[in-house]
Amino acid sequence: MEGAEIIFTLPILGIPVSETVVNTWIIMGVLTLFAIVSTRSLNRIPKGMQNVAEAVVDLFNNFTADTMGEQQKGFSPYMGSLALLLLFANLAGLFGLRPPTADLNTTFALATMTFLIIHLGGMKKKGIKGYLKNYIEPFPAMLPLNIIGELAFPVSLAFRLFGNVVAGALIITLLYGALQSLSGMLGITIIPVFQAAIPIVFHLYFDLFSGVLQTFIFVMLSMVFISMAVE
Amino acid sequence: MEPLVGISWSFIFQILNTILIFVILKHFLFKPVTEFMENRRKGIEDSIKMAEGKNAEAEELKNAYQRKLDEIKEERSEMIKDATKRADQRGEEIIKKAELEAKKLIDKANNDIAREKQKALNELKEQISGLVIMAASKVVEKELDQNKHEALIKEFIDEVGEAKWQN
Repeated sequence: MEGAEIIFTLPILGIPVSETVVNTWIIMGVLTLFAIVSTRSLNRIPKGMQNVAEAVVDLFNNFTADTMGEQQKGFSPYMGSLALLLLFANLAGLFGLRPPTADLNTTFALATMTFLIIHLGGMKKKGIKGYLKNYIEPFPAMLPLNIIGELAFPVSLAFRLFGNVVAGALIITLLYGALQSLSGMLGITIIPVFQAAIPIVFHLYFDLFSGVLQTFIFVMLSMVFISMAVE
Repeated sequence: MEPLVGISWSFIFQILNTILIFVILKHFLFKPVTEFMENRRKGIEDSIKMAEGKNAEAEELKNAYQRKLDEIKEERSEMIKDATKRADQRGEEIIKKAELEAKKLIDKANNDIAREKQKALNELKEQISGLVIMAASKVVEKELDQNKHEALIKEFIDEVGEAKWQN
């Protein structure tokens, strides 16, 4: 499997725009459309899309309050956006799009955001001095180890997600290839018999199950580390 | 084609995309829906509280009315009892009075009857004396003989007799 294709290049500065970014824009468009349509006319008695919007918002509000504590409820919109973006990105493979999370740039960008929130939140909460003091605890010799530990978190977060999604996509691609050659060996080339039914199970596991699970893990870890830093 | 593992311009794009989608979803989805649900929750809470208050008030009023009704019932039965008693008393009084009056009337009638009788007797006596005088004058007028005498006496007795027997 190769990296993302370059779809086009921005005329200014010649910045390349990859498939990853374009697919992310598609997902963002879908999410924005959903947000606008479902909240266009809020009724006291919820109906149709409003039910979905309320369920989603309520889910993330409660999840954030349960995991991070009632006083950290303000993180709910960020965590919800992160989860929705990740969920759609991971499930993009089901619609034939290359999952944006199968690109290290995406996972690193999201991990960097969490990393920034952790450290900026920590500084804001404990002050610069208190925050820096954390690095020489329990004793100053621990400083390099503490720094490595802090840096390891976003790296592990980014690579965990990237690895899982890429592995899934890789196996699915290999499977399609194998099934195609199997069809070719049997001389069935007009109708892709094997590619029609067999991959469903693998899509279920690698796209649906793994995608949802990795979204949950990413958001959960972000929540836990952020709440630890700002508490 | 980008390499599979590597950092490129996409990293910057994805950072901006993340911030953008956060801003969009917060503004269009999370903020309005959370506020809306919070308001609705408050509204429902208020409604329930108000309904509970109204219920309690109604219960109180019901009890008060029940008590009042009971009081009225008691009062009514007492009044009826009182009225019955009074009516009985009054009836008795009226009967007694009527009896008394009747007795008086009877007495008076008796008196009247006695008086009338006396009057009649007196009249009778007067008449008798008149008759006697008349008879005496007749005797004086006529010669006295045995036959005439007897006839006279008989006549006299006949005349007087009727009146006398009426006594």
